[in-house]
Amino acid sequence: MSSLQEGEETPEIESGETELEALLDDLIVDRDDHENAPAFVIRPDTVQETLGRLKEEAGYDHLSLVTAEEYPDRYESIYHLKKFDDPTDEVSIVVPTDAENPVSESAEPVFRTADWHEREAYDLVGIDYDDHPDLRRILLPETWQGHPMGRDYDQNRPQMVPLREHANPLEDDHRSESDSDTMFVNIGPHHPATHGVLHLETTLDGEQVVDVEPDIGYLHRNEEQMAQQSTYRYQIMPYPDRWDYISAGLLNEWAYARAAEDLADIEVPEYAQIIRTMGAELCRIAAHMLAVGTFALDIYGDFTAIFMYAIRDREKAQNILEDLTGQRLMFNYFRLGGVVWDLPEPREEFFEKVRSFTEELPELLEEYHDLITGNEILQMRTVGTGVLPEEVAKNYGATGPVARGSGIDYDIRRDDPYGYYDELDWEVPVEDGCDNFSRLLVRMREVEESAKIIEQCVDLLEDWPEEERNIQANVPRTLRPDDDTEIYRTVEGAKGELGVYIRADGTEKPARFKIRSPCFSNLQTLPEMSNGEYIPDMIAALGSLDIVLGEVDR
Amino acid sequence: MILQSETPLPDTLANLLGLGGFGVAGEFVASFIAAFIVGNVMLAMTGVAGPWAKRKITAKFTDRIAANRIGPAGIGTIPADAVRLLAKELIVPEGADRPAWDIAPLIVAGSAMLGFAVIPMGSGIQVADPEVGLAYVFAVASIASLGMVMAGYASNNKYSMLGALRAVAQNLAYEIPLVITGVSVVLFTGSLRMSEIVAAQQETLISLGGVAIPSWFVFVNPFAFVLFLAANIAEVGRNPFDIPEAPTEIVAGFQTEYSSVYFVLLYLGEFLHIFLGGAITAVLFLGGAAGPGPESIGFLWFVVKIWAFFLFTQWLRSAAPRLRIDQLIEVGWKGMLELSFLNLVLTALIVGVVV
Repeated sequence: MSSLQEGEETPEIESGETELEALLDDLIVDRDDHENAPAFVIRPDTVQETLGRLKEEAGYDHLSLVTAEEYPDRYESIYHLKKFDDPTDEVSIVVPTDAENPVSESAEPVFRTADWHEREAYDLVGIDYDDHPDLRRILLPETWQGHPMGRDYDQNRPQMVPLREHANPLEDDHRSESDSDTMFVNIGPHHPATHGVLHLETTLDGEQVVDVEPDIGYLHRNEEQMAQQSTYRYQIMPYPDRWDYISAGLLNEWAYARAAEDLADIEVPEYAQIIRTMGAELCRIAAHMLAVGTFALDIYGDFTAIFMYAIRDREKAQNILEDLTGQRLMFNYFRLGGVVWDLPEPREEFFEKVRSFTEELPELLEEYHDLITGNEILQMRTVGTGVLPEEVAKNYGATGPVARGSGIDYDIRRDDPYGYYDELDWEVPVEDGCDNFSRLLVRMREVEESAKIIEQCVDLLEDWPEEERNIQANVPRTLRPDDDTEIYRTVEGAKGELGVYIRADGTEKPARFKIRSPCFSNLQTLPEMSNGEYIPDMIAALGSLDIVLGEVDR
Repeated sequence: MILQSETPLPDTLANLLGLGGFGVAGEFVASFIAAFIVGNVMLAMTGVAGPWAKRKITAKFTDRIAANRIGPAGIGTIPADAVRLLAKELIVPEGADRPAWDIAPLIVAGSAMLGFAVIPMGSGIQVADPEVGLAYVFAVASIASLGMVMAGYASNNKYSMLGALRAVAQNLAYEIPLVITGVSVVLFTGSLRMSEIVAAQQETLISLGGVAIPSWFVFVNPFAFVLFLAANIAEVGRNPFDIPEAPTEIVAGFQTEYSSVYFVLLYLGEFLHIFLGGAITAVLFLGGAAGPGPESIGFLWFVVKIWAFFLFTQWLRSAAPRLRIDQLIEVGWKGMLELSFLNLVLTALIVGVVV
């Protein structure tokens, strides 16, 4: 499928490339094309100029990912740019920097989202960004020695630090001279509303939030390095389940599968694509059910009926997924080139189960609407609070339901089709309220759309001729993609645009494996949404972002 | 027709035990025994409500089973929970303001217990029946706010402090509508004495096909009842007005730092306040201990009424989202206060013209 798409797009990219070359004529040093996009090499002191031109004049308004890597002779930052209007129109900007003194200009003044991405690059790889407003470690503790993704990093060096040297992340009350009325509160890392180990450094003025700064990294496992130490064929696949572990497993697996399959030119059989599509949408329903349930929990303040109902109905999706994959949490169901096994026997019983779930879903959602969206107190709490304007959302690289709740009509499943999505009949729900309520509505409507997709998949699978049920393509036992090929591919995860960048070096393990976590970018918008609002609204905004710390921290 | 026994419980006990001859000492002993009985009855109800009934009720609302391990329907979890809670370590936060921190739970629990002293519970159970009964019960119930502020301030914790401030703001905003609405009932009865308020509701309001509807104030003035109920829920701090605790926002508000016995006392106090709220509602609007059957089972009807109120709070807990603090204050000062005064004026007109 993928090779087909690329074939179709080639002419368009060709013409676009000449225009881009003309636009960036004086800045381009070299070409270093990726499998997915043209890539231009520029000097490290022209980053803002280049990205600025691409954003303002060529319309590349989405900085999807910043990848950083150390080579023997240089450091390299790659800015993966896209258009919100057309995510297949991509361009990469490669910024090599000196090995001795890796300083590169920051992209933060052009794209706000670069803030955290560059902090991560500094933290893990060790590139310094000039002009960056706040270049600190983001995932690792302040006291960490060295940069773990760097080449000369000693993995055996103990990182134990005496207590007195350890920067206590829980800061004391600090009152500035000018503004003595504020109060500093640590919300988290263990707090009923943070949905995991998230720490919010919050400055309050009475009940109002003056400033909030998310402190992340408590769940950091360096999943990227784990993938780099594993082989393409089998060893990487179990890890994506552990990024967004709240039932979005298959969606994550697809992110890796799509990138690796396109890199190694593997064609997935149509039958397997349909199974993948169905499984992924079941995951999306389960993930959104939990998001709606916990959002209600944040607003209602107790484990109320709506939370339990959402969990009860999510359980049905989980049971189907368990039948399909044999697992409830860490599915490990996809394989490069297909899925690990066919639908469970007897098939009729399975189809019956899936159908009864999708058929009763509209009725269940009606009940949710009665309980949540129809409730006047909930409307008082959510309409007009946690506002994230469209332009701000784009600037921060927000994707998924967060972007669609801000009126951005952007869904990878439709705009950059993969799997079987472009053959099916469904819609992308968009709400332009930009507030907590819109994000809630988008998720609830997406559940309906997912159910529609699943029904169509079941119809297709039921009629599929028995002899053509091919669940896996022929894939060599050991995969060795060509040396120096790079690819960045994204899928629509439960929380937004989930991407994987892989650079192959001709061995059976990736030389660089980089994850684009939608939650990581989405969480950055929290201060925009909650500064100046009340504490409860900040909690509601956090709930409406629907972050999973496993994916934020990776 | 007066269902309520005119004799307060201490006098009945004094007669029964022959304490009358001992003068002041006898009176004191009799009052002490009466208070002991009433206190224990209410504590027992709280004991059933807190560790068991609350769980079971919420579970029914949310499609779960809840406690089911010990005894029939898990009722045996009550002693187990009591032992568990009392056996826990009491952790005193660094920098806690000591006497205040220790006294606060006692105030919260004690203020509710004091309120029950004047409640006519039917079957002759009423410890005292002073002339200013209604004013007294409102007064002691609102002492709890003081306990909350002390708990929040003395804990040396920012979440506690926020909770305490919220508690004060909320109670100020709702105490006034609550009392004003209560006063509209007094306009009918012409007395603050609890037994007389109950007595005034025993006449038949209207006879529908042979069924006599008593003149409970819930039927006479349903508008006041709804107002009173809402203000009462806010006063006892239950959903959707559980803002001083607000688990997802400020952890547990003023009780964040409390553990073990102190936590039990605070929790006990909250449940007692729910029951006291139910008792006041029953006395003011639901005819006190009145109900079908002989007068001697009045206490049963009274228990049914306060448990109905408890059930109502748990229903809200399962179904209603929490308001934001500024919205709550707005509803209190801009909505309920006006409505309660309107209700008072209307009631005064009706009482003046009709009665």
